[in-house]
Amino acid sequence: MKEIFCRIDRCLGCKSCELACAIEHSCGQNLLSAVKEYPLPAARVFVQKFKAPGSFTISQAVAVQCRQCAEPMCAAACITGGIVKDESSGLVRFNHDKCLGCWSCTMICPFAAIVRERYCAKAVKCDRCEDRIIPACVEACPTKALVFCETEEFDEFYREAEAER
Amino acid sequence: MRYLIIGSSAAGIGAVEGIRQIDKVNPITIISAENYPLYSRCLLSYYLSGKLTESGLHIRPDDWSKINKANMFLGKKVVLIETDKGYIQCSDGSKYYYDKLLIATGATVKIPPNIPSGMEGIFTLRTVEDAKKVDAAISPDGEAVILGGGLIGLKAAFALLARKMKTTVVLKSKSVLSQMIDFNAAQLVQKKMTDLGIDILTQSEVTEVITEGKNIIKVVVASKEGSDIRNCSLLIAAKGVHPNTELAEGTGIEKNGGILTDEHMRTNNENIYAAGDVAETYDIALEDRTVNALWTCAVQQGKIAGFNMAGTPKSYDGSAAMNSLNFPGLDIISFGNTKADENQGFEIYHYTNSHKNIYKKIVLKDNRIKGLILINAIDNAGLLLSLMGRKIDVGSFQLELLNDNFNYGRVLSYGGAKEKARFWHIGHKAGI
Repeated sequence: MKEIFCRIDRCLGCKSCELACAIEHSCGQNLLSAVKEYPLPAARVFVQKFKAPGSFTISQAVAVQCRQCAEPMCAAACITGGIVKDESSGLVRFNHDKCLGCWSCTMICPFAAIVRERYCAKAVKCDRCEDRIIPACVEACPTKALVFCETEEFDEFYREAEAER
Repeated sequence: MRYLIIGSSAAGIGAVEGIRQIDKVNPITIISAENYPLYSRCLLSYYLSGKLTESGLHIRPDDWSKINKANMFLGKKVVLIETDKGYIQCSDGSKYYYDKLLIATGATVKIPPNIPSGMEGIFTLRTVEDAKKVDAAISPDGEAVILGGGLIGLKAAFALLARKMKTTVVLKSKSVLSQMIDFNAAQLVQKKMTDLGIDILTQSEVTEVITEGKNIIKVVVASKEGSDIRNCSLLIAAKGVHPNTELAEGTGIEKNGGILTDEHMRTNNENIYAAGDVAETYDIALEDRTVNALWTCAVQQGKIAGFNMAGTPKSYDGSAAMNSLNFPGLDIISFGNTKADENQGFEIYHYTNSHKNIYKKIVLKDNRIKGLILINAIDNAGLLLSLMGRKIDVGSFQLELLNDNFNYGRVLSYGGAKEKARFWHIGHKAGI
């Protein structure tokens, strides 16, 4: 099963992924119309900046989105049965129509990857762009920090990066 | 191997799904005292307010029992567990044999002794049947009184408000949601409710119910200032629940507040498990055994019990008090011990922004998170909950915990290279 990974050593925190994600989840599907939409389309990926360990100056960033957990705690928490783990695709499916905005999933997601959509008071999370071959955030990443691959392939990336160092 | 599950709510559903992840063959039988299967109790107040229809209460598809190959028997009350011979008996005399049994009988609403039974207009809000009765009794010109200022009581109050009833909440403690949030946070909630037109009488108690024939017409509310008579055509008792442990009586199954379970959700009988509102589990915030009668905990416990019943050992990390709420204009998440005192060795950090109605409070002890209240700035709650659950030493970044820009990356930056390497693969496991 392919997943979205982030190579921390490459992420600049430019938020291109956030923008691409919001556009992908807008009605107009392009930037110019998306910025005029009401409510504003929300991104499902979050760029998080932090200081490198032991440093006060070097800033690092990472893009976090729903990890599609194997044992999703949000599915256990959801009081409406609106979050379901789909065994065949491996995705954690979120049913927008069922959501009542009780924030049980926000309460329990350890990645803080399910957030509130303030206008309609419902939760939103990454659906891994099911109708696209490559997720919008991965496609938009200018430094190729976001990758869409199998876990084993990503391990390879990591080993290479460590070896180069 | 025959699996038998008593109860078809959160823990029962979780258990079936847990068993079926491992064992796809052996028969599962579910016995439920209720006639409505597979619905969520948490949604009853939404049903009452008119936001959901009856079909909206269902949390699993109609063919769920077929997909999971489970035989479901509804409307049967189990009266006896015969542990030596391995069967249970229902009130209609039917017997069911088991090899692995799960007790997920849930809990019953506590009704104060001075509230008469068998009267029209006095309700609880626990089952679909209860909700339907309340629904039928709602009249816009009537006045409602709710006993108890907990989660269920307040949700019911907002539902009745949505149906245009004049509603009063009567509670014994100093402030609403006293199990969940501290006094200061409760003031925000109380102000909001009063603004919307819900009366809140704290430190008060309904001492007497005045009836006319079979109908309730007035209640006597006693407080410090004296007693007061209020009109009341509808009364909902929501003073908490107590676990349905009667079945464990005389079977040798150990119980305290609820049925005692180990980390595999097993009772002291090796073939009998317990989960949900009836089970007493280890609480990660209190570091002691307690019953956490919460939906989320029940599903997780049910699932863990299911895995273990099917022969795959899996342990439960422990439960914690955790609640989330959405009242109009107030999003609240709280967990753990939120009312700790600085004198008992707890460190407490606050953040208040009265313009935006934001309130945050975090309770720490020995550099570990012990409790949290977030109002209207709740997006980081899950991250903080997992730091609490995993007992992470937050000493080096404890001043940042309540910042809006505190995030997963920051936690990561304090971990070593090993944590980093693990970071992205963790999605495969439950928890971080």
